[in-house]
Parts: sequence; C-alpha cells; structure tokens
Amino acid sequence: MKLLEIKNLSKSFNGRKVLEDISLTVEKGEVVSIIGPSGSGKSTLLRCTTFLETMDDGELSYSENPVVVSNNGRAVYPSKNELKEAKKHFSLVFQNFNLFPHFNVLKNVSDAPIHVLKREKEEVIEESMKILKKVGLEEKINSYPCELSGGQQQRVAIARALVMNPDMLYFDEPTSALDPEITAGILRIMKELAEEKMTMVIVTHEIDFARAVSDRVIFMDGGYIIEQGAPKDVIDNPSNERTKAFLKKLSV
Amino acid sequence: MRQNKKMSNLKAKNNRIRSLIGTALIFSMIVSMFLCLMPITAYAEKQTFTVGFDAEFPPYGYKDASGEYVGFDLDLAAEVCKRSNWELVKQPIDWDSKDMELNSGAIDCIWNGFTINGREDKYTWSTPYIDNSQVVVVKKDSDINKLSDLEGKTVVVQADSSALAAFTGEDATDENKKLAKSFAELQQTADYNSAFLNLESGMVQAICMDVGIANYQTAKRGDKFRILEEKVSSEKYGIGFKLGNDTLRDKVQEILFDMKSDGTFDEIAKKWNLETSVCLSADDKYIDKEETSSSSQKTDDSGIKFGDMFIQLADGMKSTILIFVLTLLFSMPLGLLLTFIRMSRFKIIQMIAKLYISIIRGTPLMLQLLVVCYGPYYIFGWELGKGYRFYAVIIGFSLNYAAYFAEIFRAGIQAVPNGQREAASILGYSNAQTFRKIIFPQMVKHVLPPVTNEIITLVKDTSLAFVLAYTEIFTIAKQIAAAQTNIIPLFAAGLFYYVFNFIVAFVMSRIEKKLSYYK
Repeated sequence: MKLLEIKNLSKSFNGRKVLEDISLTVEKGEVVSIIGPSGSGKSTLLRCTTFLETMDDGELSYSENPVVVSNNGRAVYPSKNELKEAKKHFSLVFQNFNLFPHFNVLKNVSDAPIHVLKREKEEVIEESMKILKKVGLEEKINSYPCELSGGQQQRVAIARALVMNPDMLYFDEPTSALDPEITAGILRIMKELAEEKMTMVIVTHEIDFARAVSDRVIFMDGGYIIEQGAPKDVIDNPSNERTKAFLKKLSV
Repeated sequence: MRQNKKMSNLKAKNNRIRSLIGTALIFSMIVSMFLCLMPITAYAEKQTFTVGFDAEFPPYGYKDASGEYVGFDLDLAAEVCKRSNWELVKQPIDWDSKDMELNSGAIDCIWNGFTINGREDKYTWSTPYIDNSQVVVVKKDSDINKLSDLEGKTVVVQADSSALAAFTGEDATDENKKLAKSFAELQQTADYNSAFLNLESGMVQAICMDVGIANYQTAKRGDKFRILEEKVSSEKYGIGFKLGNDTLRDKVQEILFDMKSDGTFDEIAKKWNLETSVCLSADDKYIDKEETSSSSQKTDDSGIKFGDMFIQLADGMKSTILIFVLTLLFSMPLGLLLTFIRMSRFKIIQMIAKLYISIIRGTPLMLQLLVVCYGPYYIFGWELGKGYRFYAVIIGFSLNYAAYFAEIFRAGIQAVPNGQREAASILGYSNAQTFRKIIFPQMVKHVLPPVTNEIITLVKDTSLAFVLAYTEIFTIAKQIAAAQTNIIPLFAAGLFYYVFNFIVAFVMSRIEKKLSYYK
C-alpha cells in the first residue's frame, strides 16, 4: 500500500521557488533517505508533508486517502478536523528535538496519546514505559529535558513519536545537533526500527547510514528530485553530475 | 521608572513634598534635615516674600485662563511686596502639606482664604481681614432646603478645610457635630473642582464650603447650583505665619493697615467681589494665643490621636490592599485577552489592541482614573451614584495595568521557541490545547521578572486613587500629617508600602524558584 503519495508539489517563499514539481511515493515498510546539499529543499519537503508549511500546488495522500488536492494550480487543504485525522498517519522527529521543557520524560511521551488520541491513561503509561525501555531511558522517566544529554533528548523525541503509533515516521536531520559519538546510538535505534519494518522517510547527511538502512535514496538539489533509486545506484554509482559532485564533497 | 514618570504628572504644586515621600525613608530623613536648614538661608537675604497658597481656591488664589496665578490674596500680597520692596514669589502648595511647607521655611506665610477659627494657636496670625462663613451648596433642583435636610445625605468638603473643621474639628459646635453624624457620609476631596464634579454627577448631594468661594463658584458654573440660607458656621480669614514669626507678621500687618486706610485694600476687594466680606479694621488686635486653649491640653490631644492614627492608617491599608488585589485579579486576564487581540492574524483587529495600548501607555494613569470616574456622567449623562467611586478606581487601574501586562505577555509568548508549536502541531494538539498546555506555562516562566516589576509598581501606584478621593493609606497619611503637623504618618505609610513590596518580591521569588525545575 502507498502510505504516502505526493504529486507535483511546488512551494515558494516570497516568490523564490524552493520545491518544484516534486512527486514521490512511499510504500508501506519502505525506508527512504533524502540527501542533498543544504538549501536543496529537503527539509521544506518534509515540512510540507507534515503540514508545518502549506504547499502552493500539488496533491498529497496518506494511505491512499487524498488530503490535499490540486484545484486550478492551487493546493486545497481540508478542514481542521480532517487535517487532524491525517496527522495520525505520521509523526516527525526534529533536528532540535523540541521536547516540552516543562514536562518530564514520561509526560512528554504520554501526554499526546492521552489528550489528543483520548486513549486510556493506564494503557498509554504502560506502552510509554515499554517504548522508553526500548530506547534505554526507563530510568529517566521523571527527569526533565534540561537534565538530559542531547542524545537522550532525541531518544525521548523518538519515543514520543512512536507512542502515537503512526503508520510512518519522518526524521528531519535527527543527528545533526548531536556529537558524533552520540550519533551512533540514535542511528542504532533507527536501524532497529527499520528492521521492524517501520516505514521511515529520513532527511540525513549520514551517507553511510543511508546506504546501510535505506531501501531507496533520493538526491535533491535546487528544489528538484535529481535522482532516486537503490543506495548502491545513487550513492555508489550515481549517474547525475550534481549527485557525483555532492558525494565527492562529502568524501573530503 | 514608571512610578517616577507618573509622579511627574502630579500637580506641580507639591513636587517638593511628593518627591520627598517617594524617596526611600533614609533619604527623606536627610531631606527633611535639609529643609529645616532652609529658613536660615531664606532669612539671610530677605529679598523675597514667598506666599503659599492652594492654586485651586478661587477667588483667593488660583490659576486663571492665561495660566497666571491670580486672586484676591495674591493681589494683596503683591501690593504688600510693592510697598516694602520685596520680590513676591507665588508658591502653589498642596493644601494637606501646608504646615510642612511653612515650618520648613519653604514659604513665608499661608495667605489663601486661611481660616483662623480653630487654628488660633497653630500659627502667628495677622488680624482677620475677611469674614467668611461656611455654607452648603446643593444642586438647583435638590430637595435640600435647610441644614436638617442633610440627614442621610452624602456631603463633601475639602480635605483639611474650615468646612471640615466646622463639622469635625476640635472647636466644632455640638450642633454641627451632631449634624455631621446624621450624614450618610462626610467625604473629603482634594479640590473644589472635583467636589462640583461629584455634586453634578450625583455622587454627593451637598458641598460645604466658604461663602466667598460658594458665591464665586455658583456664579461661575451657571444656573445649576444654589446656596442654602442657613449657615453652618461663621469664621474669619487671616494670614498665617510660622508660629513665633512676629517680626514678619508685624511688618505685613502694618502695610495692610496702610492699604486699608488709603483705600487700596477695599479697591482690591471690590475687584474680586469680596467687598461685603471685608472685616479688616485697625481697631482689631492680633489673635492672642493666651486667650485660646492652653498648649498643654493640646499635647494631650495629639497623644490620643497618635493611637487613632494607626487605626486610621489600618483602614487605609485595607483599601490599598483591596485595590491591589482586585486590580491584579482583573488586569491579568484582561491583559491576556489584549495579547490575543494584539497577536491576531487580522491586521485590523491587531490595530484595535495597538491603539488601546498606545493610548493607555501614552497618558497619565491619574488622568485615566478621572476619565473613568467622571466620564460616564459628562459623556453619557449617567449618574452612577456614590458607590461608583470605588468601581472607578478598580476599573481605571485594571484598564491601565492590562495594557502593560498585555505587552509583557506578548513578549513572553514570543519568547517560546517556534519548535514548541511545531512539535505540538505534529502531535495533533488543538490550538487551544497548544496554548494551554505548552505555550502558557512556558510564558508564565518568561514573564515572572517583568510581572514582578509591574506588581511592585502597582503597590505604589495605588496611592494615585487619591485623585478620586478614594481614601487609601496614602491619602489618610497625608491628611493626618497635615492635621497634626507631623511627618510620622508619612513614614508609617512609606514603611507599609515597603513591607508590602518586600512581601510581594518574596512571594514572586518563591514562585520563580518553584518554576526553576526546568530551563
């Protein structure tokens, strides 16, 4: 099943095009990495698919249900309630974690399922504990974000996303704000999720990681999807000059 | 800072004393020591003759249309100075602070329709020159026709005026004391203008004042008021010098007699329509101190009053705390509402809040209080009754503080990182949930320090309620200080404000500490 389907998405800021005619499909269980130089539109693409930005034109469907449709060259958004329903399909892990500083770890993870999804409190707490244990933070449930390291905060953020039970997860440069030795821990968790067949779309600069976990790698530049395919094709054997140039810069 | 700014909008006439009060207690002690030294320098030169007067007391002394200080007494003083080659300094004073002005040497005399009766041994007096009686002014269509009709009515007098003394002073007749007790309330006001505003808008039913002023005011204000025939008391005006300053008194007195005999005095009286009241006569003697009650009895009296002072101040404290609590209670939610309007997505709605904040921040709180209190009558003709005074104080303060809180809250909301809203959006929180659960608690933490500042300013600003004649601690302290020629009530009030603010600061720092569990 196509969990995500984007058709002809375009977006500009103050007349400057940042995304141009993007079409993309993500199948259930697929892990897709998006790479490309900064300013290429990767993050904006993620922000459009998660409704943090509104696209100018294009169509967007989750689980084959249309959410945003195109009408006369303009994207038409649904009502607030329908948008809220659509948000249940996915969750997003931010580069800067964006944990709620005044909530402790357990409340950060469990508050939304209880108050947004209106699930039973005991059940949510139990599940939150399970997931926090999985990311190795069962001893920190009463700590506040300011008492945690960056890596620990990002693990809480991943737990917070997982407990919402989304069909798919977006990651927006999840390790860019972290020290290299901490990065590995986060990547390990993401790798485990991939092995559990979690559908993931990851914007990343970790080329080795992208190669290891991705089913498909997308290279973006200047607001366009330049090249996409299996990691061994796009990363190890790129056909496009711009992809080659980008990868060459990364390898020092 | 804001307190100071507001203070500068207070009437200029009591700047010196007011700033004295505003300063910390230690400083005020130093300043009062300085003031004690001032007479020495003043007398050393003796070039100037400084007359203290209430600039809101026509026809004796007031500001005319062109902004000059004019009046019967000032004309007399000018003539005296002319004849003795002195330079006249017209010094408007806060009537409640007149004794401090005089005793500190800041003024040489009080010359301002100043009633001798009841104050015989507090000043060195000239001979009486005006016979004045206390009369009652009511609305033209009022059903009050004689003094006994005042039973159950609200009557207003000027603070520390001879009308007040006629009702409650030491020398008040039993009859007048009884009459005053029959009133629903005997209110005090800072000036006659607000007394007439109160009368016209129906907040009070009668004003008691000097007949000369009553004639002048009722004539000037058109056909709206009338004076009762029955008089409350009869009294005389003199020039008050500092007790013991006979030299200056004698000199001025001599010139006055000269003026009387060559007709200048009566000419000036005629100019101010006071010729019927003049009683200056060379046959009169100075008011002899020995004729009046002995000074030892006086000390006893003030001893008793000392205990009363704290009871009265305690009453004022209750009022101050009430203003404080109610203002906070209303201004904070109102401020938050204003913040929402100010941060609206729609430019036009934003403009409403911007305009409101701009007006409130750009005009003195004192003026806003007056508008809130008297505006309903003068703009819409609503008579809101005497109970409205208290509501006006609360409404005025709440509207003012809401504007300041709104801007603080806006800054607090904008200080919450955008990532917080984005995370909440991804998790599916509604806008209301996002504000209530995520933004608001973080905003509270951000705004605590500026809000503490604002609350401390509010404690001190409550003293501005005096412009609406609402008797909170500052008003009462000033009145007691004036009545007893004693600065202790002001110190006591200062101490109260300080302790109050100390508690506020303590409580706020505890709350801040409580919220420091996260960064």
